Amino acid sequence: MKCEWVRQNVILYLYEELADDSRYEFEQHVARCAGCAAEVESGREFQQALAAAPVVQPTPNLLTAARMRLQEALETTEQGGFWQRFVFDPGAWLRQIRFSPALAMVLVMVGFGGGVGAMYFMHGQAEPTLGSSGGLPPDQASISGIRSVTKDPSSDRVSIQYDTVTSHREEGAVSDQRIQQLLLFAARNNYNSGVRVDSIDLLTLQPNDVRVREALVYALRYDNNPGVRLKALEGLGSYVKDDVRVRNAVLDALLNDGNPGVRVQALHLLEPVKADGSVRVVLQRLAESDQSQFIRTQARSALAQLPEID
Amino acid sequence: MAGNTLSRIDDTLLVREAQRGNRAAFEELVRQYDHAVLRLALHLTGSEQDAQDIYQEAFLKAYKNVANFRFECSFYTWIYRIVTNLCLDHLRRRRVRKEDAPVGRDSEGGEFDLLDQTPDRRPGASPERDLLRRELGARINGALDRLTPRERMVFELKHYHGLKLRTVGEMLNTTEETAKNTLFRATQRLRGALADMR
Repeated sequence: MKCEWVRQNVILYLYEELADDSRYEFEQHVARCAGCAAEVESGREFQQALAAAPVVQPTPNLLTAARMRLQEALETTEQGGFWQRFVFDPGAWLRQIRFSPALAMVLVMVGFGGGVGAMYFMHGQAEPTLGSSGGLPPDQASISGIRSVTKDPSSDRVSIQYDTVTSHREEGAVSDQRIQQLLLFAARNNYNSGVRVDSIDLLTLQPNDVRVREALVYALRYDNNPGVRLKALEGLGSYVKDDVRVRNAVLDALLNDGNPGVRVQALHLLEPVKADGSVRVVLQRLAESDQSQFIRTQARSALAQLPEID
Repeated sequence: MAGNTLSRIDDTLLVREAQRGNRAAFEELVRQYDHAVLRLALHLTGSEQDAQDIYQEAFLKAYKNVANFRFECSFYTWIYRIVTNLCLDHLRRRRVRKEDAPVGRDSEGGEFDLLDQTPDRRPGASPERDLLRRELGARINGALDRLTPRERMVFELKHYHGLKLRTVGEMLNTTEETAKNTLFRATQRLRGALADMR
């Protein structure tokens, strides 16, 4: 009986899929039973024999061709949005409701509450307010785009023009919550890189705010405009020393950014932390094999100033 | 090592950005997994063109549906689930077309794919070694091809990709226990088909 169990589990043992206690039992038995030991050996030989047909690695050419073809297709492909779930898969919703009475109850309550709210809204609001300034903070989901960000040079006043269904204008101090919210939105979502540069520029005035720092790191990593990335770097400069996430983002920019100006700026920012282990490794890699001669030289000179590590 | 640490960007963050419509974040996710995806598709289909088609379809599908990704499993499992489904469809279609495939028979009656018989023209490859390699490779590939698509997939993910059976089960929408049984069956059949190789 024991031998039968062992033989049925040889494969799982060889693929390291047996639980610890079963594995122990298995090994104890195999150490005493020559027949089962031979079975294990035979399984091992079979695995080795399969190595005669190893997995072919995709060639760099194939990978590049596949990436390019995908990138081309992504240009013309639109993401399915949140509403797609409701429109195309009502069955999934019905299933969820069937299995979750609590969710069904919540939906009924939300529907009821929404109805009451709508009635209150229709009766309670005398006339719609358009082009308001100083009203409720804008809901990001309702903003379709930000047209412009303008700062008054003589004060800390900022004017932001944005569109929902209609166009709006918001004015206030840079530190104002509503202004900050709009700037953060513009930094990530605007199609106009000029607006993104202006927003990032103003956000760098408040880099102690965690959301602002996140927005700057995001811009440095993902913005496709080098000007915006440079602005973000500028704002992050003072945090390279104390914030590891910022340092990693700057190191990433130094290693992978496609723009030489951004890389050089990143290299300068890392000057105060060049003795740090991760920075040193990156510098060594750059000094040895970076494509840009300037970066290679700069990295070598930074390394030369560091004390040797045994 | 530091380079690895640097390039390990949090998937969750990238997925959230991709869900907001950020294509750069999605492309970053693609770059993290596309080598493994292409390798899997290439080994299963044996054709660069088919592998590229599966790669393309898988990532486009992921892009269109990333908004519906609800973090119930890792992005890695999710993308592999898409790829394995596409590969399974491909294997099933190929099984149906199998009769039309250019196959030959070896001295013991085993079938092999004639397309695998192209000589190795790499410098340094000796004709004898090349012949032996091709014979063994063809027999192993022939045996793998005779597995059912599901057996082939479980064996592929376990043996060649080293995934845990629990993860394999998740990817194939089945239990770990079923994945274990399928692996057992696949291995038994392969050992039977290749018994004289050892």
